[in-house]
Amino acid sequence: MSKQKIDISSVLNSPLETKSQEKAKQDNLRSVVERKLKLYDPKANNVKRMLELLSRRVSRQVASSIVGCVHCGMCAESCHYALARPEDPTMISVYKAEQVRKIFKRHLDWTGRIIPWWANARYPADDKELNRLKNVVFGTCSGCRRCTLNCPMGVDTAAIIRLGRGLLTELGIVPEGVFNVSRDEWETGNQMGVTEQDYLETLEWMKEEVRAELGDSKVEIPVDKEDCNFMYIINPREIKFDPRSIGNAAKIFHLAGEKWTLPRRGWDQTNFGLFSGDDNLGGFLARNVYEAASRLRAKCIVISECGHGYRSTRWEGYNWASYDQKIPTESVVATLVRYIKERRIKVDPSKNSEPVTFHDSCNIARSGGMTEEPRWILRQVCLNFREMLPNRTENYCCTGGGGLLSMVEYRPLRLEVARIKAEQLKATGARFVCTMCHNCMDGLADIIKHYRLDMKVVQVLDLVANALVLPDKKQKGDGSRTVPEPSP
Amino acid sequence: MSHFLRILENEVQIGALIFLGVVYVFRLIWLFKFKACRERTFAAGNEKAGIGFSLMNVAMPWAMESTRKKPSFYAQFVVFHIGIAATISATFIIPFWPSLFKIRIVIWVFEAGIGAAFLVGLMRLYRRLANPALRLISTLDDYFSLILVILFFAAGLLAVPSLYQKAEWPLILFFLLTTFLIVYVPFSKICHYLYYPFTRYFLGKTLGRRGVLPLKKANKEIN
Repeated sequence: MSKQKIDISSVLNSPLETKSQEKAKQDNLRSVVERKLKLYDPKANNVKRMLELLSRRVSRQVASSIVGCVHCGMCAESCHYALARPEDPTMISVYKAEQVRKIFKRHLDWTGRIIPWWANARYPADDKELNRLKNVVFGTCSGCRRCTLNCPMGVDTAAIIRLGRGLLTELGIVPEGVFNVSRDEWETGNQMGVTEQDYLETLEWMKEEVRAELGDSKVEIPVDKEDCNFMYIINPREIKFDPRSIGNAAKIFHLAGEKWTLPRRGWDQTNFGLFSGDDNLGGFLARNVYEAASRLRAKCIVISECGHGYRSTRWEGYNWASYDQKIPTESVVATLVRYIKERRIKVDPSKNSEPVTFHDSCNIARSGGMTEEPRWILRQVCLNFREMLPNRTENYCCTGGGGLLSMVEYRPLRLEVARIKAEQLKATGARFVCTMCHNCMDGLADIIKHYRLDMKVVQVLDLVANALVLPDKKQKGDGSRTVPEPSP
Repeated sequence: MSHFLRILENEVQIGALIFLGVVYVFRLIWLFKFKACRERTFAAGNEKAGIGFSLMNVAMPWAMESTRKKPSFYAQFVVFHIGIAATISATFIIPFWPSLFKIRIVIWVFEAGIGAAFLVGLMRLYRRLANPALRLISTLDDYFSLILVILFFAAGLLAVPSLYQKAEWPLILFFLLTTFLIVYVPFSKICHYLYYPFTRYFLGKTLGRRGVLPLKKANKEIN
């Protein structure tokens, strides 16, 4: 395992890049004109603006977490950053939260306002310190909530970090990757700026592929079909980089005799509002989905495999958008459980004979409560499923969470601290690591490549599709395949 | 008993407790001024079960990896807080139920509890000073609060025998410290016990609704 240590000051002093912001301003983007996408103004009193926002933004839940901390340090060894860099005290969860907490205490807490030096309460001095705060809250935390579940007081450190992120996002003091994705989401309604034409053409292509594979011209990938059992929403990554997953889903839904549709608009289940702390963006994106389901009179929303997309759409989005949930919202993994239990699809575990382990995504396990469904499926579709240790809500983050995959300036540190995850993966002896999150797929793929592990990343849908027992007339060749196609 | 000690044990303590109560009410009003997030989702789990699990977390060291991996730290936490409870009880027993401290075994039990807590307090102070990560995040309040409680334990050890006929100074010291502690607590980190139920309630409610809490039993098998 690599032992290269990053100089943390290079991370904490990483400068604020504003090229994309300047271009957005020059291009007079609608989201900039409408003040949805915030740009950094070096002439403004950003510290004062931050404090005004802080007063308005802190919820009761977060306030209780901020004041409830007793600095016991029990969270320290729950964080993969701190475990990978035990000699670096700035990596412990409580230190990161303190960077936000001390501002809160100075501005809103009695003791912090009257005798700030007693409680280490402090205002940021200038934009340079705000930039440093940006590097802490975006660059040294993936928001995985492992510390939250290990805190004796119940302090939600991840929520405090998200508060810090949200305040800085309002000031335009964000990593460039976060700004770029947020811009694309405001402007196009999806994370990767996929055009409607690209979207529809990819769906059409996948439909033809699945028809050819099954030898069945009745296979459809419906778009904007009304009154279906569910509306399926996907990650733009599936359109741009991995359309096979759409094909696999279509194949399974067809074999299950499902009445389903994709929406023409509001199909993106991902949500950078979760990562940037921007509840307005989060609510906008989530509302797109909910309104699409309402427009199509779908009975349910089914979310393709994505951790933060699941958490945002299933849980947080309804609150951000102030939209009361009217229909069930579930992960496609729950749908697959139902299909297998109701024998609407048949699976043969011998088609996935190599050892497979499962990586619980933070947003699905710790923030979403879904741990048993994927395991149940893997026991049906794999011959050799093995747990990694620890697992479920105690699993370690893939290190790619919190939007870190989009923030290239923090990549060296991310890969360094990924040693913890790499050791966990290696200990399983598995050939495949299965996850139900696209971010985790990329995060784990990065780790596998960096630490030269002999493993590949797959998703639950891949393994189910690989294990499918097709109706006799649809069998190709000997119908067997022992290795699922790995991710690109 | 001197008039000064009698006033110190009674009226002064009661006055300090009233002050503590009033400040706590203002603290809670301050906390409740922050807007609560409203849930608009269908529940996947049971909020009440989540809240119950979260509140009982303090009594379930096996439920968190951090306390499972450090059982001695959890044991210290228990000893420390039993000591707090014992010492605070002594501030009521001495003035209002002095006959209890005439029973030798009761004195021994209290002294043992408070003495153990005193030692744990010293260990905690050493840890806070010796651990670079804790030094980095510790405030003056952290150190002062811990030292104050350690002194409170020490004074309690001297005061519990309640031998005011021989000398009143241990009791005077104890009740002066208690008064100061009561007045200081609502402005310090020691009032974490006021916030603890709320922090735990909010976390339990949110994660209970999502079906995260109560925690599902982690299956530890590996091939």
